Amino acid sequence: MDNPMLNRTPVEQKPVPKHPKSQERLSAQIWKHRKEYLAISPFYILFAIFGLFPIAFSMFLSFQKWDGIGEMTYNGLGNYQFMLTDPEFWRAVGNTLLIWIYSTIPMLFIALVVAFLLNASFVRFRTFFRIGYFLPNVTSLVAVAIVFGTVFSNNYGLLNYMLSLLGLNSIEWLNKTWGIQLAISVMVIWRWAGYNAIIYLAGLQSIPTVLYEAAKIDGASGIQSFFKITIPNLRPIILFTVITSTIGGMQIFTEPQVLVGNDGGVSGGGMTIVLYLYREAFVNNYFGYGAAVGWGMFLLIAIFSIVNWKMVQGSPSND
Amino acid sequence: MNTRRMVSLGLLILVMIISGCTGNASTEKTKTLTLWYWNRSLDDELIKSVEKEFPGIRIDAQKIGGDFKSKLKTTLAAGSGGPDIVAFNDWVAELFTSSDRFYDLYELGAKDIEPDFLDWKWKLGVTPEGTMIALPIDTGPTALYYRADLFGEAGLPTEPEEVHAQLGTWDQYFEAGQKLQEHFDQKVKMLDNITNIYTQMNAQSERIYFAEDNTFIGETPESSMKTAWDTAVKASQMKLSANANTSSSEWNAAMNNGRVASFVGAVWMKEILMQAAPDTSGKWRVARAPGGDGNNGGSFLAIMKTSKYPQEAFEVMKYIQSPENQVQSFKKINLFPSAKDALDAPVMKEPEEFFGNQATGEVFSESARNVKPAYFGGKFANVNGIVNRELSSVALQGKNPDKAWEDALARVKKELLR
Repeated sequence: MDNPMLNRTPVEQKPVPKHPKSQERLSAQIWKHRKEYLAISPFYILFAIFGLFPIAFSMFLSFQKWDGIGEMTYNGLGNYQFMLTDPEFWRAVGNTLLIWIYSTIPMLFIALVVAFLLNASFVRFRTFFRIGYFLPNVTSLVAVAIVFGTVFSNNYGLLNYMLSLLGLNSIEWLNKTWGIQLAISVMVIWRWAGYNAIIYLAGLQSIPTVLYEAAKIDGASGIQSFFKITIPNLRPIILFTVITSTIGGMQIFTEPQVLVGNDGGVSGGGMTIVLYLYREAFVNNYFGYGAAVGWGMFLLIAIFSIVNWKMVQGSPSND
Repeated sequence: MNTRRMVSLGLLILVMIISGCTGNASTEKTKTLTLWYWNRSLDDELIKSVEKEFPGIRIDAQKIGGDFKSKLKTTLAAGSGGPDIVAFNDWVAELFTSSDRFYDLYELGAKDIEPDFLDWKWKLGVTPEGTMIALPIDTGPTALYYRADLFGEAGLPTEPEEVHAQLGTWDQYFEAGQKLQEHFDQKVKMLDNITNIYTQMNAQSERIYFAEDNTFIGETPESSMKTAWDTAVKASQMKLSANANTSSSEWNAAMNNGRVASFVGAVWMKEILMQAAPDTSGKWRVARAPGGDGNNGGSFLAIMKTSKYPQEAFEVMKYIQSPENQVQSFKKINLFPSAKDALDAPVMKEPEEFFGNQATGEVFSESARNVKPAYFGGKFANVNGIVNRELSSVALQGKNPDKAWEDALARVKKELLR
């Protein structure tokens, strides 16, 4: 997960070379440094084949009707039209947003608390805990989904066993829309809380201690210095985690697919946008439509990232 | 290392990589046939014996794991680099629209062996235009699996013939289910899930969703769609289902714990049941299914148009699927034969311990002989998926069945427009 938006520094506007002579100079420059260009070329070649081409092709494909084998036929805006009037697509959008809200807000909150504790001087074995919290992030997602599947299993699950110990009725978690969404959200929280905590921890450690010392001398309480020093200084870090979690949340796929299958479980409670894209393209063989859904998702992510950015950035006086 | 040596080393590596892609090249003496199949779809030893049987032919058998259908379709989309011989599952009809990508087996001599095979199974590989793209491997005749001990305790018949005689229709089967559940105070359910009822009832029918000109006929009484739906809903309303989805850990547990007394399934469920419910060994029996005989699943072999040796490939396929070799495959890995003669083989009459020494092969062969030829159509899987989704929300979330039926039909009609 990298975030191109944070790394972007304003580039100075250089005059575009218009004179043919300066263009010659550029090609001569390239020729002069051909070995260096050759050395860095693998990335660009691979990117062009596996990154750029598929993106361009999916754009082309989204205007076609194609079952993956036969002839492609031009379909105009037909795929987009179908998408916009497709209740299942909108349901998938709604599900994705719900799962995103259920998972991201608690996850980032937990991550902040964990980071704060990991940074506190009274906690011992801090390195051990840091590794411990990060570990879920490198665990195989499929294995995680299978384990959570047994935890939430309707008849023989761990959760229902615990409910029965408390004398409560068991709940058919994976037969209910909210149950499926809860299970997926819990998986997301479990997996990403530690990752974000490590990022927050790095942010916390970059805040100069002199600020806290000065605040202490001025008689500020712990809560005051948390809200007046820690939070403002963490703002860019929070922005980063919110945007990466949004992109990740919009792209959620493996968790529902392994947990409840290609149809998103009973009544499609776990049908997310990417799972819908996968099912339409690779199960139902509507490759053109799948490509259109992909571009619809791209638009949604772009809108959400901008909204997030504006929201977390807050008032301009703080910048 | 100077620049020239570096460049030549780089070139050497490049050449090695490129030449690696074109290994296995056929020489004049040996012809290499590439075969794509999935685990247990063909007997591995039988494949090995091909090279002995046909000197000069080398078989490059590749087991394709994961989602076989997507991998095959991706290869077909690429238009090259595919195998000579490829296995299909029961989604063969999805490829009818691309039948030009495969050799017409009739042109390679399939007419000669047609009488050897079960008629309905053979027809599944022939397009409505009359080209034959796929040769049968195994079949999946369906029957009723039931627990003789539980049936006996509840006062139901226990012998397969009696069960078939008294539980021959779906209504009789459901009534017996009610009786059984009352006896066990609802702790044992008659059947596994209602989508299975829907699937198996369609499997017993000649017409399901589409007529042979690909018009949707789901709503007309001659198709099984509506009657199968109503029957499944009835089972749900009578609370006969344990709501354990087929091929889930819940299903396995329900079978082993004795929570389910019976289910209708294809012959390949035998193996799944034996692995899922080892504790119930000896207690199961198999009888002809309520509502009639049917087929669910079973696979095929086809030759891709990109193959250089179609005639040789066809001879190999003919050998693999000869009645004798089908009997061997049934013995070894339980592939139920599609050749008529193989159904009379002595191995069909062997008693099986798991089924209380019943020879279940006899029941399944009788079922296989009575399957009606059915037409599936290229969009069968899409439509079937939609109906099954609505049906499971009726069963598991208590959705109103009439509303669910309307939703399913509306969605199917939208689906068929694109």
